[in-house]
Amino acid sequence: MATWGMVIDLEKCTGCQACTLACGMENNRLPGENWQDVIFFTEGSYPSAQLKWFPRPCQHCENPSCMAVCPTGATFKTADGVVLVDWDKCIGCKYCMVACPYGVRFYTEEKPLVSPDMRKVHASKDEHSWNPPWKMPDAREDWKHGVGIQPHDVVSKCTFCYHRVSMAPPGTPDLDPQDPKLREFTPACVVTCPPGARLFGDLSNPESRVSRMIGDKRGVRLLDQLGNKPQVYYLTGDGGAVPSNRAIDKKA
Amino acid sequence: MNFIYPKTPGEAIAGTFRMFGENHVTANLWKLSVAVLAASLAYVFYMLSSEGHAAFNTSSDGVNWGSAIATYVFFALTSSGLTFIASLSTVFGFKQFYPVAKRCIWLAIVTLIAGFAVLALELGHPFRMLWAMPLGMQIRSAMFWMGVFYSIDLVLLFIKFYLLWREDWDSSLSRFVGASSFVAVVLASGMLGLVFGSLAMRPMWFGSATSLFFIISGALSGAAAIVVSVYLAYGFDTRNMPAPLRALKLSDQLPKVFATLIGIVLLFLLTRIWVGLWSNQDGMEGFVALLRAPWFHLEVWVCLALPFLMMLSPSMQVKPRWQVLASVLVLLGMFIERLQFIVAGQNVPMFKGTWMNAVTPYTPSLTEWALVAVGISSALALYALGDRLFNLSDAPKEQAGY
Repeated sequence: MATWGMVIDLEKCTGCQACTLACGMENNRLPGENWQDVIFFTEGSYPSAQLKWFPRPCQHCENPSCMAVCPTGATFKTADGVVLVDWDKCIGCKYCMVACPYGVRFYTEEKPLVSPDMRKVHASKDEHSWNPPWKMPDAREDWKHGVGIQPHDVVSKCTFCYHRVSMAPPGTPDLDPQDPKLREFTPACVVTCPPGARLFGDLSNPESRVSRMIGDKRGVRLLDQLGNKPQVYYLTGDGGAVPSNRAIDKKA
Repeated sequence: MNFIYPKTPGEAIAGTFRMFGENHVTANLWKLSVAVLAASLAYVFYMLSSEGHAAFNTSSDGVNWGSAIATYVFFALTSSGLTFIASLSTVFGFKQFYPVAKRCIWLAIVTLIAGFAVLALELGHPFRMLWAMPLGMQIRSAMFWMGVFYSIDLVLLFIKFYLLWREDWDSSLSRFVGASSFVAVVLASGMLGLVFGSLAMRPMWFGSATSLFFIISGALSGAAAIVVSVYLAYGFDTRNMPAPLRALKLSDQLPKVFATLIGIVLLFLLTRIWVGLWSNQDGMEGFVALLRAPWFHLEVWVCLALPFLMMLSPSMQVKPRWQVLASVLVLLGMFIERLQFIVAGQNVPMFKGTWMNAVTPYTPSLTEWALVAVGISSALALYALGDRLFNLSDAPKEQAGY
């Protein structure tokens, strides 16, 4: 069984946010509810201020704190290493959101981030929280794995495009979007990344490209000191560092 | 008050309705709180049915848990504190506290119910919780154990109250239930502390001290609640009280317990803010925001330091009006404490959203304030009901002063 993981090369990432958009289209996200966000922030001050950005999907941790705190077992980790939410078990207590060090979880019922509220423009007549005009086929929707348009009052998060990845041929070391045979099994953000800054593969296979890149280019993990052990690795090189804190202005 | 108490369920139901036509402190409290409860609950239900939980100002981008969770924590810990005060006589043998034991147990029941009610209206799927938590058996989750211990606590409180209602004050069963209830409530309030204290990624909450703080500050709000409610029951006039209760109220014992608890809570707050401001650790920035918040200063200086001095002063500590004022201020201070503890702990955003590089703002919405009103009014309404129906001033014969 594979242990799926992602490598993001910050030397290549241009901060174009195509990943954010592709994820939103693939997974029918509300505007602003970015499972795959790119965080922009500044460091330093005039005249040496720098604009920086940092792509941040769910880290699909080896030791997910969100899973440990969930009182019902709605958040779980699959055998192939993906952290998912069972929407039929989620009670909407939001403890997982509070306990996630990476801020990758979203509650459905909140003030809309953009106006008009798309949930009202495309209101749902059934249990779905909204009904966008374009959405993934019903056959792909899978509430047990947090895939599709979620019901009301549950927590949602990046699934590593589980509806794609789980269909990959067993034993595949890397899901390379350049390979036409594997493209449809590769997460949408990886497929769409214009500079090819994202790699997706089996972390448990030492021969996979993701494993070799992590070894060769000294991949690092976000907030590693917390012990969650993310399965998303960042390659820094000349592309800037992984933030060691939460990019906050202490005087603000 | 010298009520004639109902003896059958039918009389109790009739007595509940009759209270609307009566004119005394308890009946007036009942009428007022039922009116506030009806209005606030109607507004909350309207907003939840039209807007859903989007009527709250909580957000995935910052403060996930807002005033509703703070209200739940306030009531749950007040309930725990009341059980501690009741245990002074029922478990630890300080018989001078018997005159407030039954009132404490009833108040513990109603505050816990009020807390659960607010929590149920905050949760996305409260009914799903009823089966998903027992079947899930997530023994690593502090929230799971909090649910287990508070449920046990509520059941034991009901049993203990039933035994006291049957005037069984000191049988082995009654003592066993009292002792079990004490253990359950220590575990429950401690576990509620661990819901926050376990989270290393939230440094403002992290650590076992959070659990201790919850237990001790819970005892403080419980002590404040019983002082206010006893005076309320006797129309704020000690001359109406039975002799043992009057002796307890006018002695310096209760003020001393009260002042000690306020002092410990102040010490906790002082050391916490010291560590928070001194530390450069990532995630502690909320303490700076806390220091700039006027609510925090209202809590520390007006709602804790002032009552502390009042209860230390030999001339003020035994005067009913100062005791009541100190208790009301402490209750207000404890509510602010729960709110600022929960909100400030989430003020540091976790890699959230573009350009969010300061502490996140949060002010409760009108719906959230209405939910706070639901909690307070339901607790007061149920308390008044108990006062009218169950003779909460009852005590063992040698303590009752009849």
